[in-house]
Amino acid sequence: MMELFALALSAVLINNVVLSKFLGLCPFLGVSKSSKNAIGMGLAVIFVIFGASLITYALYHLVLVPAEIEYMQLITFILVIATFVQFIEMFIKKYSPALYKSLGIYLPLITTNCVVLYVAQDNITQNYDLIETIVNSIAVPAGFMLVLYLFSCLRERLDSADTPKAWKGNPIALVVAALMALAFSAFAGIV
Amino acid sequence: MNILYGMLFIIALGSVYVLGYYFNHKTPKPKGCENMTAACEGCHVTSCDNNPQNEYKEKENV
Repeated sequence: MMELFALALSAVLINNVVLSKFLGLCPFLGVSKSSKNAIGMGLAVIFVIFGASLITYALYHLVLVPAEIEYMQLITFILVIATFVQFIEMFIKKYSPALYKSLGIYLPLITTNCVVLYVAQDNITQNYDLIETIVNSIAVPAGFMLVLYLFSCLRERLDSADTPKAWKGNPIALVVAALMALAFSAFAGIV
Repeated sequence: MNILYGMLFIIALGSVYVLGYYFNHKTPKPKGCENMTAACEGCHVTSCDNNPQNEYKEKENV
């Protein structure tokens, strides 16, 4: 149990996918202008990563390994993620307009989010069992959502801050992101 | 034989993706969601539907 907790804590704070591995920077910068958008994007990422990771885990162990075609895992995972997002978008469009209104616009962004592929690959390369895969598939996007939300709150405050003209927009946002990465590196010793 | 299995598997997955893409684009958006756009100013990923460059392309095609 403690190992699972350590795995989750490590994925959220220590090996944070954005601040430590520099993945998912496109939505991190693109959808962090308001905290409302950040929460919507974060929830959509958690949902897609969890579902895609379970499917890729099952496909790897039930199809690729028995057929001895493990070398196809990268292209398989890419296709599975893209297909999963298409079906999820279609399902939400048809059966849950309210959910589509809040999450729908972020789904196309998630297809190009490399964090999804990273988690699917990480579950296989680290030889995680099913429980560890589930924990990792929730903790990594939770860390992404946490950082995205914190960053969006900082950016909202930056909009009203008196920054020099040359630093407005992305330059000051990138400096803030670097400072956040420094701050998160202080968590390194807790596990 | 492994290569054949691999090719068949990828073709099957690709077909599922094409079907998903087709049905997704055929499914109408719910009322009130027709003109929704994310608060994104665009990055270098031009394949993303939310990239403002795609809006210009759609307008040009119309």
